Amino acid sequence: MLTIEKLKAYGADVEDGLVRCMGMEDFYLQMTEMGLKDERFETLGKVLEENRIDEAFEMAHALKGVVGNLALTPIYGPISELTEALRHKTGVDYQALYRQAKAEKDRLDDVLANE
Amino acid sequence: MNDSIRRQKLFHRTVLVVDDEAVNRQMLGAILGTAYEVLYAANGREALEQVRIQKDLISLILLDLLMPEMDGYQVLEELRADPILRRIPVIVLTADRSAEVKSLQLGAADFLSKPYDMPEVIQARVRHSIELSEDTRIIQATENDSLTGLYTREFFFEYAHKFDRFHQEKAIDAIVLNFNRFHMVNELHGREFGDRVLCAIADGIRGILEETDGVACRYDADTFFIYVSHRSDYDHLINSVLRRLGEVMNTPEMRIRMGVYQDVYRAARLEERFDRALQACNSIRNQFGFSYAIYDMNMHEREVYSARLMEDFPTALETAQFQVRYQPKFNIRGETPRLCSAEALISWQHPEYGRVRPDAFIPLFEENGLIRRLDHFVWRETARQLGEWKKQYGAVIPVSVNVSRVDIYDPDIVSFLLSLVEENHIETEDLLLEITESAYTDNSRQIVQVVSQLRDKGFKVEMDDFGSGYSSLNMLTTLPIDALKLDMAFIRDIARDNKEMRMVELVLEIAAFLEVPVIAEGVETKEQYELLHQAGCDIIQGYYFSRPIDAEEYARFIMKEMALRTKEG
Repeated sequence: MLTIEKLKAYGADVEDGLVRCMGMEDFYLQMTEMGLKDERFETLGKVLEENRIDEAFEMAHALKGVVGNLALTPIYGPISELTEALRHKTGVDYQALYRQAKAEKDRLDDVLANE
Repeated sequence: MNDSIRRQKLFHRTVLVVDDEAVNRQMLGAILGTAYEVLYAANGREALEQVRIQKDLISLILLDLLMPEMDGYQVLEELRADPILRRIPVIVLTADRSAEVKSLQLGAADFLSKPYDMPEVIQARVRHSIELSEDTRIIQATENDSLTGLYTREFFFEYAHKFDRFHQEKAIDAIVLNFNRFHMVNELHGREFGDRVLCAIADGIRGILEETDGVACRYDADTFFIYVSHRSDYDHLINSVLRRLGEVMNTPEMRIRMGVYQDVYRAARLEERFDRALQACNSIRNQFGFSYAIYDMNMHEREVYSARLMEDFPTALETAQFQVRYQPKFNIRGETPRLCSAEALISWQHPEYGRVRPDAFIPLFEENGLIRRLDHFVWRETARQLGEWKKQYGAVIPVSVNVSRVDIYDPDIVSFLLSLVEENHIETEDLLLEITESAYTDNSRQIVQVVSQLRDKGFKVEMDDFGSGYSSLNMLTTLPIDALKLDMAFIRDIARDNKEMRMVELVLEIAAFLEVPVIAEGVETKEQYELLHQAGCDIIQGYYFSRPIDAEEYARFIMKEMALRTKEG
C-alpha cells in the first residue's frame, strides 16, 4: 500500500511533491498511484529495442514530466537523462539509461509491495 | 484589498488546462481550482474544440507542447490565425528552454516550467497574464475608435504629446481632414455605406502612418486629426486617402477638405495647432474633390480679427454700431420694373475698423450662436420701421429678413415674430422670411415643421441661396415655400446660352412647376437684367437697381411706388 512514509523511505522528495498537490496527502498518493500504473514504463523498453527513437523520446518525455511533478527523484534522474539523449539523438546507450530508470521504478514497486 | 484580489472576487475566470498526462492536468487543476473554474483537454484538437465553443468564457489556456493528435505549436498557430481566439492569453508548459522562442513567436504570453514551480508561482503568473490581457483589451476598447480603429480624440492628444517628447527636433504637421457635408452621404446612401466611407478614409490615413511617424484619430463623426512628420507637399496623403475612397465611392461624390498647420518653430501648443489646422480646413467650403489649405499669417490675422469682432459684438449692439439697410427688390414681369419688397441687411460701423463687411462677421456669428441676437435685432428694427412706414404712407411694402439656422431651433420663434408684428401694427405677410436652402437639407423635418407653423400664421417664406445646397427635386415638392431666391453665384457668370444661364432657366422651370416666383439677387449689369427678364424671372435684387441703402433713402423708393399706385387708382 502506498504511503507517505514508504515514498520518503524510497527517496522521493515528498515535500516537493506535496507542495504541488497543495499539501493534500491523499491527492498526492492518488496521483502517484496513477503515475506508477503508466504502462509506458514497460513499453518504452520494447520501443527502444526496435530503435523507434522519436516514439521513444515522446514516451520518455511524458514519463519524465509525470515523474518530475510527483517528485519521484530516483526515477527522475535517469529518465531525464534518457529524454535528453533521445531528444538530441546522442547515440549513447539508451538501453542502459532505460534500464536504470526501470530498475528504480521496480525498486519503488517493491517498496510499495512490502507491507 | 488589493486590485488583483478585488478583481478575482468579482467573478470566477475559467482556465483551460491542456496536457495529455492526466496526472499533470489534475495537479494543475488542484493548484488553480480554488481561484478558477478549470476545464481540461487531453490534446490540441480537444483544446481547440473547447476554445471555439467557449471562447467568451475562457480567460487563459495552459498549454503543453508535446501531445498526440495535435501538438501545442499547432494550437498556437490556429489561435493566432483567428482574430477573436488570438486574444486569449496562452501560458506554455515546457521543460525545454529552446521551445520558448518558437512559442513566443507564435504568440505565447508566458511559460511555466516542468516539473511545476511552487503553486504560488503558478497562481501568480496565471493571474498576471489574465490581468494583463484584460487590461490590454479594456485599453484598446477605450483608446481606439470602434468604427475605424484609429485613436479616440482623448488618447490621440495623449499620444501626440508623447510623440512630441520623443521627436523634439522634428518638424511636424497638424492636419485636419474632413468630409464636407458628410451627413448627405448617410442620407443618400444609408448609414452602412457612410461607415464604409469613413473606414476607407481611416485606411488611407493609416497607410501614411505606416510609412512615416505619426498618430491619427477620428476626432468626430466625419473629421480626422493627423499628426505626422512635416512633408513639403501633401500629395502622398491625398493620394493614399483618395485611393482607398475610390474603392468604395465614385469620385464626383468625394468632398474632402484638409487644413494643415505646419509647425516649423513649435511656437504653439498642440491643441492650438489643431485649432489652426481646423480653421484652415473650414476656410474651404463646398468644394468637390480634394482640396486643402495651409494655415498662414493671413489666417492668423483673420483669427485675431475674428476674435476682436466677437469681443466687440455686445458693445456694438448697445451703442448702435449696427444699422439695418434695405436693398429694394423689383418685380420685372410687367412693362416697367416695380418695387415689390426689400431685403433688410445688416451693416456694422466699427469705431476702429470702419465698415465691417457682413461676410466677415455673419459666418463667425453663425458658428458661435451670436447670430441669434443679431437676427433678433434686425427683425425688431425692421418691424419697427415697417410700422413707421405704415403710419406715414398708409400701406406697407413688405421687407424680408434673414432667418438663420439656429433660429429654427428656437422654440419661441413663432411667438417672437408674432409679437413683433402685433407691437408694430403690421401684418404677418409684411415681414417676409428668408431661410437658406442648406438649412432645409440639414434638418428637413425640423424646418418643415417650423416653416409650416410660420406660414399658418400668414408669414411668407423665401428659400434663400437656392442652388448652393443639395435639395433633391423630390424634397422640393414637399417643402412649404413661397419663393425661390437664386444663389448669387449663378447670376454672376450668366451669359447667353452658357451653363449658368441654362441652370437659371432650369430653376425657373422648377419654380413654375412649384408655382412660386423666382427672385434673382446680385444683379449688377444691364445684360444680366435683360437675360433674366427674357428668361421669365419674376423679381430682381441687386446693384443694377440699388445697393443696400438706409431707411431714409429707401423711403424715397416707397414714396415713388406709392405715387404710382395712387395714379393707377
